[in-house]
Amino acid sequence: MISVPLEKKVLGENDRIAAGLRLVLDATRTLSLNFIGSPGAGKTAFLERTLRMLPTGTRAAVLTGDIQTENDAVRLARYGYPVRQITTAGACHLDARMVEKHLVDWDLNALDLLLIENVGNLVCPTSYDLGEDGKVVILSVAEGEDKPLKYPGIFKKAELMILSKVDLLPYVPFSAELARECACSVHPGIEIIEASAITGEGFSQWMEWLERRMESKRALAVDYAGAIQ
Amino acid sequence: MHEMGIANSILEAVWKEMVRYPGYRPAKVDVRIGAFAGVDPESLRFCFEAMVRDTPPPRLELAIEPTAGDELDLGSIEMEEVLTA
Repeated sequence: MISVPLEKKVLGENDRIAAGLRLVLDATRTLSLNFIGSPGAGKTAFLERTLRMLPTGTRAAVLTGDIQTENDAVRLARYGYPVRQITTAGACHLDARMVEKHLVDWDLNALDLLLIENVGNLVCPTSYDLGEDGKVVILSVAEGEDKPLKYPGIFKKAELMILSKVDLLPYVPFSAELARECACSVHPGIEIIEASAITGEGFSQWMEWLERRMESKRALAVDYAGAIQ
Repeated sequence: MHEMGIANSILEAVWKEMVRYPGYRPAKVDVRIGAFAGVDPESLRFCFEAMVRDTPPPRLELAIEPTAGDELDLGSIEMEEVLTA
């Protein structure tokens, strides 16, 4: 009997492609965010309102993943930004290869912001690096406050949690305070923004967050792009 | 839900080593799965066992070591010498 040490990531091939994507997105100073949440958490509505509120001149694009249908791409395309649907045909998550394939012939130099809407799922997308700058988890007040405890992986990896559909708070037995406590117990220091894509509540705070991240990406990437030339 | 894909990735790694070690049979593969990896160990075991039932190598055992972080790592493969008459 011999023991052959492998000592590598199970998803090493995905990580390798993701690292390549990250290199390109850094060089082109494109901020990319990976939005993850349950089906029905309000990911598409949140992104629709985001696109509507982006400052004029922002060069944004969206990739949206679903198991079937082009419905989300149709919804998101109404705001004048390039949108592509990734139909996974059964897969419960996006992987780096799908993202790479769907970025082909988009000029990333002409993009400041790439929004990636993952397949509705709190579990599987967590394992797959897409080369993004950060993960944003969306939890709606129509779900349970203890979702962060039940699905700790994504809440630990996400740097920002959007508590969505807060316009429903008067009608549902949901404690935003308890949801915050659950999220912070899994990930102390996670940033949390309460938002409603219907009323626009919380969007000024979110747009400030986004603008700040785009600004730091621009600043970081200048040195980086210089370094790799 | 994606445990089938994870099981397949583990098997692909094993197949690569089978090519590199002719005359040996992979008997056991070790993986480390963190509590935050987003992978359910029992579901992975179910998928893995379903796959190796129809796919070589035969009698390959999956050993899962639970860890505390977000590890999803391949440890090592134990290879048994195949005795030929």
